[in-house]
Amino acid sequence: METVSFKIHSINTMLTIKKTNCKMMKPLKIHLSILVCLFSLSSCELSEIDNYDAPNATISGGVYDVETKELVQQDIIRGGQIEYVEQGYNNPQNQYMVLKNDGTYQNKLMFANTYTMQLVRGNFVPLEKQEVVVKGDTKLDFQVQPYIRVKNANIVKQDNKIIATFNIQQTVSNEVSRIGLFAHEEVNVGDPLHVVATRQDINVATSESTLYTLEIDLAAHQGSLKPGSAYYFRVGGLINASEAKYNYAPAVRITL
Amino acid sequence: MMKKIYFIYLVFGVILSTMPACSDYLDLEPKNKLPGDVVLSDPNGVKAFIANLYYQAPIEDFVYFPREGFNARGNTGALALSQYGIEAIHSEWPNWNEYRNDWWDKGYKLNRSLNLLLESIPTLSISQKEKDELMAEAHFLRAYTYFALAKRYGGVPIIKTVQEYDTNFESLRVARSTEKETWDFVLEECDNAIRNLPENWESGDISKRRATKWTAYALKSRAALHAASIAKYWNRAPLSGDAVSKNLIGLAASDANAYYQACIEASAAIMNANRFTLHKPTPANPQEAAANYQAMFMDPNQASSEVIFLKGYSNAGGHIAHDYDGWNNPNQTSEGFPHRGRTNPVLELVDLYENYNTPGQPAPIITTTNGTVGANGGFNASTSYRKFNSVEEIFANKDARFFASIIYPNATWKGVSIVIQGGIVKPDGSVIESRDSYTHQGVTYYTYGKESSNQYSGFDGSADMTRTGFLMRKFLNEGSRINTWLQSTTDFIDFRLAEVLLNYAEAAVESGYSQNNVQANAAKAINDLRRRAGHTTDIPLTLQNVMRERTVELAFENKNFWDLIRRREFHTQFNNKLKTALVPMLDLRGATPQYIFVRKNVPGSNPTTFPEKDYYRHIPGVSGNGVIQNPQH
Repeated sequence: METVSFKIHSINTMLTIKKTNCKMMKPLKIHLSILVCLFSLSSCELSEIDNYDAPNATISGGVYDVETKELVQQDIIRGGQIEYVEQGYNNPQNQYMVLKNDGTYQNKLMFANTYTMQLVRGNFVPLEKQEVVVKGDTKLDFQVQPYIRVKNANIVKQDNKIIATFNIQQTVSNEVSRIGLFAHEEVNVGDPLHVVATRQDINVATSESTLYTLEIDLAAHQGSLKPGSAYYFRVGGLINASEAKYNYAPAVRITL
Repeated sequence: MMKKIYFIYLVFGVILSTMPACSDYLDLEPKNKLPGDVVLSDPNGVKAFIANLYYQAPIEDFVYFPREGFNARGNTGALALSQYGIEAIHSEWPNWNEYRNDWWDKGYKLNRSLNLLLESIPTLSISQKEKDELMAEAHFLRAYTYFALAKRYGGVPIIKTVQEYDTNFESLRVARSTEKETWDFVLEECDNAIRNLPENWESGDISKRRATKWTAYALKSRAALHAASIAKYWNRAPLSGDAVSKNLIGLAASDANAYYQACIEASAAIMNANRFTLHKPTPANPQEAAANYQAMFMDPNQASSEVIFLKGYSNAGGHIAHDYDGWNNPNQTSEGFPHRGRTNPVLELVDLYENYNTPGQPAPIITTTNGTVGANGGFNASTSYRKFNSVEEIFANKDARFFASIIYPNATWKGVSIVIQGGIVKPDGSVIESRDSYTHQGVTYYTYGKESSNQYSGFDGSADMTRTGFLMRKFLNEGSRINTWLQSTTDFIDFRLAEVLLNYAEAAVESGYSQNNVQANAAKAINDLRRRAGHTTDIPLTLQNVMRERTVELAFENKNFWDLIRRREFHTQFNNKLKTALVPMLDLRGATPQYIFVRKNVPGSNPTTFPEKDYYRHIPGVSGNGVIQNPQH
């Protein structure tokens, strides 16, 4: 009924304008103010719909190697994620938090509640789901077994080449499918984010004593790796496992 | 006055208060519409109904755009499927990759209409043969509908009867079937269509525009190959989650060979029907091959021996026409249409076309004198580039289909020489790559080849100019003038013999199936296609040869995108991927001006990485329809 009466007012306002011209300004004003009132009434109701509390909790932490206690390096694009579901709702949707390159994460816009969380699609042996109570500033670290530990990584510039040497320690029996050396302006450098990459398919179960060497010939990439500029370089290896991502050594910054 | 107004309020109020009363005074049968049961009880009504269902079929043609959906006209931007894969890039929006995701809704609407039709046909007063044929047509369209659902969403709810709407919502909710059950349903519906569809309708023309037995075989060939590839290559990009553990997405590797065999058998039925041949299969030379191939797409009705099924267009200016020419004509042949030059083929595709003197090999464009393709970094003063007196020489000897599909620098189009140039190298080795001119030995040269922007077609960065050095030729009508919207009436070939041969060859080489001489027939199939393109040396049946042949033969026919999806190559091809341009530059360093070519990442484009989750699409409305969502969506 409310919309109906609104229509009558507006029709009459139109009529009034036509008929009255300047003489009858006062009634016109009255009618306009009736309209304005009606509008403002309805907008009050609208504003009440969005009366939820703002997010009131945060969560942060990191993904740590259970053995070395170091953070496990990640990719931002297509990398590992924390998949979580807020409990207490019917048919809840999955939500995701993206791990940062260094293996930490943070979400400052959480609602205090109990969640089911799982680290998924990462470069480590999959973990079970866990229940997490988020309240205030919650800290939650994950202890994982990375598929691969890139050891003794050494990346240097030598003879107008970038030369990376490293050993691979694998923690599962699967084969290592490929290794790679990646370059980019950003510290987030990796397999899905690089300007130049050297990759090598190896498809073997590696031995920790094997020294792997990967190179980037700077002369061949002058357009993308400009002499005098600084770039980040990172080496990594990819295990042959479902949805596995690269494991990396920390990125190294080199001025060319 | 005021009293009068209050009186009017009162009168309105009284009138209105009587309105909501229940009366059937306004329940009129509209005079300009037919009620559903009248349409579906009359044989001619059914035919009209079916014609509309063909229009709704998920044919990815000139009016399919991934960010607009099916049957999209108007200002679509012409962001075509070829630009989402590795064939081309868009001149104005090189980084756009939105996805409309409209087939869930449209597919289930079409499915409901088909179910209505299937329940109505038995009640018509027509002969049993006519009933069987109409039923078979509906089964064909239902197979097509679920094929388009399965390739986007994996396993989907299979609804074979007309659902009755009532307040019990639970009865309307149908759970997803497994991906395997869904593909098997698609193939079963193809078989239901094949069984009763006629080999021909009453005229040759109608037989290309209405499903025949051969159309249903061709759909089965395409669908079975898609399913087989997912089964074989699922492990290249495995996913996890609820939908996977319940088999709603994913096929087992052990299922691959049965699907490959289904593809081989369906394709063979067409190949052995003594009804279809390649259009002009033995041209005298590559020039003739190029002319024949171009003509086939300009007017598919000339190529009736090869065409199995086409979507027709007519009525320029009306809503059954399209804008393919308008969007894609070179800038120089602008005829009044407000946009031009949108689809720009990329060098990755151009590189794939064979050279006649190196059969069986991709022939990348060699830009440097040491015989390497050269880096993608743009002009480098220390590189020794190959130099050419005329700009098109670098493409000499390429496969005829390159010349028939793509406009390249100095190609002739509508009698005009298409000028595509991206810069000038000055005598001192410095370069001009933005709008400028340079006078050398009394002659003035311009960065983009000519002085004013209506005299050239590339690289000045505006939306009407190519960013890659290449423009479209395939499908464009060289005889038409396009001065406004909806002027193109070129028909689109949805199924043709070439695709069936390539499906057969891929299924043969992937499965190793060797009965019935399949391997030899598959080698013959790809060599027949190459012979039609002017090649005279046969090449062996290898996966690489089949896939290259498929990509160049079917270029821009909206197949390559799905090849990357079903073969799970999207995430490896698009891993931090920048597409490549070929930039011709005028080099003034020598005694006479010559052209060099520089490979370059497409200007203005950003690296693209395909997320594995997008091998399946987000299912709309899961909170309402209650189905399990695809992983990570």
